[in-house]
Amino acid sequence: MLTRKQILHLFLAVVLVAGCSKEKTFVYDVNTVNVNPESGDKSNVKTTTEFISIAYSDLYGTTISQGNLYKLNVAYTSFGDKKLIEDRIIRNFLNDPNVIIPSDTLMRNDIAAFITSSYKKFFNRLPDEFEKYYLVNLIQTDTDIKSVEIYYSMMTATEYRYY
Amino acid sequence: MTNRREFIKKAGVAAAGVFAVPYLLPSGRLFAATGVRRANHVVFCLYAGGVRNLESVMKAEGNLMPNMLNGNESISPDIAAFMQPLPANPLGAGNTLQSYGTLYKNFRYNSGPTGHYNGHTCAITGAYTTTDLSIKDHPTNPTVFEYYRKHNSPAQTALNSWWISNALGPYPALNFSKYPGYGAMFGANFIAPTSLISVDGYDVLGNQMTFGSQEQAAISKMRSFMDHNFKRSFVDGDAGVTNSGPDAIQLEQFITKSFQDASSGLYTDPWGAGIGVMNNDMYNIFFTEEIIKQFKPELIVVNMQDVDICHTDFTSYCNNLRKADFAVAHLWNTIQNTPGMANDTIMIIAPEHGRNQNGNSILDMNGRKALDHTASLDGTGDQMARDIFCMVVGPPSKVQQGQVISSSNGESIEVIPTIANILGFDNDVPAGMLKSFNSCDLKTAFI
Repeated sequence: MLTRKQILHLFLAVVLVAGCSKEKTFVYDVNTVNVNPESGDKSNVKTTTEFISIAYSDLYGTTISQGNLYKLNVAYTSFGDKKLIEDRIIRNFLNDPNVIIPSDTLMRNDIAAFITSSYKKFFNRLPDEFEKYYLVNLIQTDTDIKSVEIYYSMMTATEYRYY
Repeated sequence: MTNRREFIKKAGVAAAGVFAVPYLLPSGRLFAATGVRRANHVVFCLYAGGVRNLESVMKAEGNLMPNMLNGNESISPDIAAFMQPLPANPLGAGNTLQSYGTLYKNFRYNSGPTGHYNGHTCAITGAYTTTDLSIKDHPTNPTVFEYYRKHNSPAQTALNSWWISNALGPYPALNFSKYPGYGAMFGANFIAPTSLISVDGYDVLGNQMTFGSQEQAAISKMRSFMDHNFKRSFVDGDAGVTNSGPDAIQLEQFITKSFQDASSGLYTDPWGAGIGVMNNDMYNIFFTEEIIKQFKPELIVVNMQDVDICHTDFTSYCNNLRKADFAVAHLWNTIQNTPGMANDTIMIIAPEHGRNQNGNSILDMNGRKALDHTASLDGTGDQMARDIFCMVVGPPSKVQQGQVISSSNGESIEVIPTIANILGFDNDVPAGMLKSFNSCDLKTAFI
C-alpha cells in the first residue's frame, strides 16, 4: 500500500518525465494542385464537318442545310491552309445579314453578361474571373469595339477549333 | 460586292476558277544545300488519268499530242470527227515540246496497283505503293514537297511549293506525309482551283466581311489573349500547311482577286479556245499559270485526269488527250514568258500509269472499246497499264534537246530524286529514302 508521500513522489516523477519528453512537431502543408483554366481539358480537334456545322449553328441559331454544308465542305477541302480558309468561312458568315449578333448597344448595356454568354456560346464554358475582367475592361476602354469583332475573335481563336 | 446571280452570269457556265495576285516572290537562289542547282524552278506535270503509250508516243490513232510530240501523223477519221477544234500551237507553228528536251518512250510504272491514287502517290513520294494505301490519310513516305522544304537551304516557305490538283477526293492529302520528322511543317500549299474558285465557292467564300486596320488590331489583341489562355496550338497537321503572316496575306489577296476576276468574266474562256471547249484539265493548268505569274514557285506539281473518261468512252479519251497536250504546251509557253522562270525552269511530264491493252465491254459512238487500268500485281496477264512515257524539257544549257530514248529502264520513282537533283538537295536526303539519282535513267536527260 503506497503512502500519501509515495503517491506524491510518483505523481511528480510522472509529471517530470512527461514534461521532459520531446515535443512532437506537426507540419501542416497543402498538397500540390495544378490549376488549369476550364478550357484546358479540350483536346479534340473538331472535324471539318463539325467545325462548319457548329459555326453555322452558333451564328444562325439553326442547323445548316445539307446543300450549304456540302458547298462549305468542298470549299474547305479545296485549300490546304485550314486556318486561312476557316477565317474566310467565318467572315463570310458574319457578312450575312441573317446571322444573329447582339447589337453593340445591347452589348454595352451589360458587357459582363455579353462576355459570359459569348463564352458559353462559342467555348461552351464560363469565362474565368480574369478573362471576364480583361475583356470587360478592354471593351469599356475601347468604345469602338463592336460585338461582331468579339464574335469574330472568338470564332477564329484556337479554342474554338477544339472541344 | 458582286451578288451571286451576277457572279454566275459573268463567270460563265464552264468557269471554274481563277487566279491572279499581288506580289512577286523573290526568285530562288543559285546554290542549294550541298549541291549546285541545275535550275531554280521545277514543274512536274502529271499527265494523269491513265494514258496508254499506244495513243500517246506510239501514235496508234495518229498524233494526238501534236504540241508535245514531233510528227504529223493523221488522226483516225472516226475519232477526228468528234474532236473539238483547239487554238493554234502555243509554242508556235512547227515547234513541239519534244524538241526542247528528252523523251523517254518506254518509261515504267513498275510496281503497285495501277490505280490513280496509287500512281499519284508514287509519283509525288518517289516510292511505290501497295494495296494497303489508305485514301483517307496522308502518305506514309515523305512527299517531294517535304524533301524540298526540309533539305533545301536556305529553307523556303510553303509559298514556294504547290500541289495543284484537278480533283478532290483523296488528292488533297498529297501535300504532306505523316512520316516522322517531315509532315505539314514542310508541306506544300494545296489547291484544287476549279473547286475553290467556283460558283459554289463564291457562295460560301466570296462575300466576306472586311475589317479596317484599327478593327483588326482590336481583334488581334482579343484573339491573342484568348489563345494565350487556351495554351494549346494546333498539333502538326491539324491546321494543314500554315502560311505565316505576310504569306497568308498574299494568299488571302490571291483568293479574293481570283473571285473578283471570275466575277468579271475574265475566266470564262481565258485561252480563247471557245465556250465549252476548256475542260477541267485545261482550267487546272490555267490556274497553275496564274500561280506561276504571281508567286513564281520553285516547285510545282500539277495534274490532269480528264482522259480517265476512257473507262467508258475511248473517243472522248482521245479528245481529252489532245486537250491535255494543248494545255501542257500552253503551260510551257507561259513559263517561258514569265520573268524569273523563263530559261530557269525544268518541266517533267509523265502519266501516273497507263491503261490495259484489252478493252472492256463498253463501246463508244465509234464502236471503240473502253479501257480500264488493272495490271495485276504479280506481273502476269495484261501489263500494258505499267507502260508510260516521260518527257524532260528545259534550257538548252541544262537539258539535252530533241533527244529520244526508245529503250530504257526508267521508272516512275525516278522523278522525285531527279527533282531533288535539279534543285540541288538530292545529297541531303537521307540515304535509302529515294532511289539514287546516279542510278536513274532520267539523268541521261541532262547535260
